[in-house]
Amino acid sequence: MDLEKTYDKIYRYVYFRIKDRTIAEDITQETFLRCINRKGNMQVFEIKYLYTVARNLCVDEYRRVKTETLPEDYEEAGAQYDNLEERLAVREAVAGLPLEDQEILLLRHVNNESMGTISSTLGISRFALYRKLKSAEEKLRAGLEAVDHEK
Amino acid sequence: MKNDWKESLKAAFDAPEPGNKKEFLRNIRPREVSTPRMLFQQVQYIRGAVWIFALMIMIFALLGSWKQMEETEDLIPVIMPFLAAISVLETRRSRKCGMIEIEMVTRFSLRSVILARMLALGLVYLFTVCVISPVIAAAFGGKALLTAMRILIPYLITMSISLQVERSVWGRKLEYASLAIAAAIAIAMFWIKNTDSALLLGYTKVIENCGVLIVLVLAGITAFEQWKTINNVEEFA
Amino acid sequence: MKLSVDRLSKQFRNKIAVDRVTFNLTEGVTGLLGANGAGKTTLMRMMTGILEPTSGDITADGIPVHTEEYRALLGYLPQDFGYYPEFTAREFVRYIAALKGLDKREAKRKTEELLELVGLSDVAGKKIKTFSGGMKQRLGIAQAIVNDPKILILDEPTAGLDPKERVRFRNMIAEIGKDTIVLFSTHIVSDIEHIASNVMMMRDGQIIYEGAWSDEQGDLEQFYMEEFE
Repeated sequence: MDLEKTYDKIYRYVYFRIKDRTIAEDITQETFLRCINRKGNMQVFEIKYLYTVARNLCVDEYRRVKTETLPEDYEEAGAQYDNLEERLAVREAVAGLPLEDQEILLLRHVNNESMGTISSTLGISRFALYRKLKSAEEKLRAGLEAVDHEK
Repeated sequence: MKNDWKESLKAAFDAPEPGNKKEFLRNIRPREVSTPRMLFQQVQYIRGAVWIFALMIMIFALLGSWKQMEETEDLIPVIMPFLAAISVLETRRSRKCGMIEIEMVTRFSLRSVILARMLALGLVYLFTVCVISPVIAAAFGGKALLTAMRILIPYLITMSISLQVERSVWGRKLEYASLAIAAAIAIAMFWIKNTDSALLLGYTKVIENCGVLIVLVLAGITAFEQWKTINNVEEFA
Repeated sequence: MKLSVDRLSKQFRNKIAVDRVTFNLTEGVTGLLGANGAGKTTLMRMMTGILEPTSGDITADGIPVHTEEYRALLGYLPQDFGYYPEFTAREFVRYIAALKGLDKREAKRKTEELLELVGLSDVAGKKIKTFSGGMKQRLGIAQAIVNDPKILILDEPTAGLDPKERVRFRNMIAEIGKDTIVLFSTHIVSDIEHIASNVMMMRDGQIIYEGAWSDEQGDLEQFYMEEFE
């Protein structure tokens, strides 16, 4: 397993849910630590398991804080200015979607996880996932067209 | 349509640089890498050509036996030397001067990487032999063990000579010396089969009588040669 | 991390190349200054485990130098490093990555990442024999850090580089040195002044100065000349 790449994926997912860099990193690292196989030195990280643990830790964090954390303002690292317009449009369209849809788009199209992994993480059937994914993609498309029309 | 947005979508979910990633990962990476894990890792790096060649031999053997092609029994021993040559070439690449310093400092010493790949390849060849021997023996009514030996002996002869040549002065200059040796052995096997019946009879008789001994001796020599090759790598330090 | 060298010595037939050297290094860049023949390369080769010391110990947080675990933490760029001329830059880094125990997939990803970092992305598919000196050195850095080492040892890495290449190289080292123990040897004083927070001076196999060097302490070059005259 590509440890660094997996770290990035989990971190990106946790940040999506927590929106605080420090806490997101703490949760990411806690997730990995909890998944270390204590049998000798062999460490086996199953991506499904990692997502599940991360998700649960995020839920715990919500309960602990009991308030909604506002999104952090930060400079997008290495922002490239080609396609800036499209990026802003997509970002806006995504922000307009319900969180559940955003989550599915993140896991499927950014982290490139399999349907099996996603359905296991979210605790829904593959069939239900397929429906929700199509619906989210459709809403995104509609959102982008709306942004287009505004111009 | 989704592909156009993929980059933008990725940017939409972008997260700020984590502060402690490299350090954390260094600490949780397994401190020791187990041998099976290392073997598995090195197997990934063995060039595709090697696998394809082994597979082709197996297919050829199985097909030939099924179709009762007589040549199968005779050609396989001829082809096996090339299999040996390819595995030796894998190790050959690592021995040029200057690279040695960098190679000695890596996590796995060069010798262990070579050993791992040879081992992996050897296991594959062993599996290949185990699969095709009974098939050929059943198809042509010979004893499985006999067949296996007729296949293994050319392989081991090629391995031993190739490794010896690799370490000699003139062998180092010739890029594909081991292939040349494999060709020579293959031709010899072919010639033995096709020309001199008396020689063939004698060869077969010898195998039947002390075949097991011959294989063991050759295996011993091969292992010894391989060990010497590996140990020689560090003479450059 | 603490890299400890304790009473390290190396004796060849009739010469003591390294003479009871002792020092500790932590994260940051340390410059090893000394004339040719002072023992820098010998010291470094012992620190990378290539050369057996005659006596003394080298450990990283207690891990001895001759272990696989130590080597896993290590990145090394030798002087005049060799390469298979037929290798492309990409093949070379991937090859080293395999030896360093990276999975093939990880190796592929890291290779692209690092070639981009050192500015060799557009020549990644070209054979190394077509590279200039500066490009080779950058490639050398890429292979040295492909395993995210905790200890980076560079032997005369700026020798033979033109001024522009040298600046680029120094910046890379400075960046890496933020969370890595970097030791690089040189006989060019300005290298040290620009990026090393710590300096060690070596003469006749002994460390004759070890410590931080700030501008207040005066001209390093002058001090060096005085010591080495």
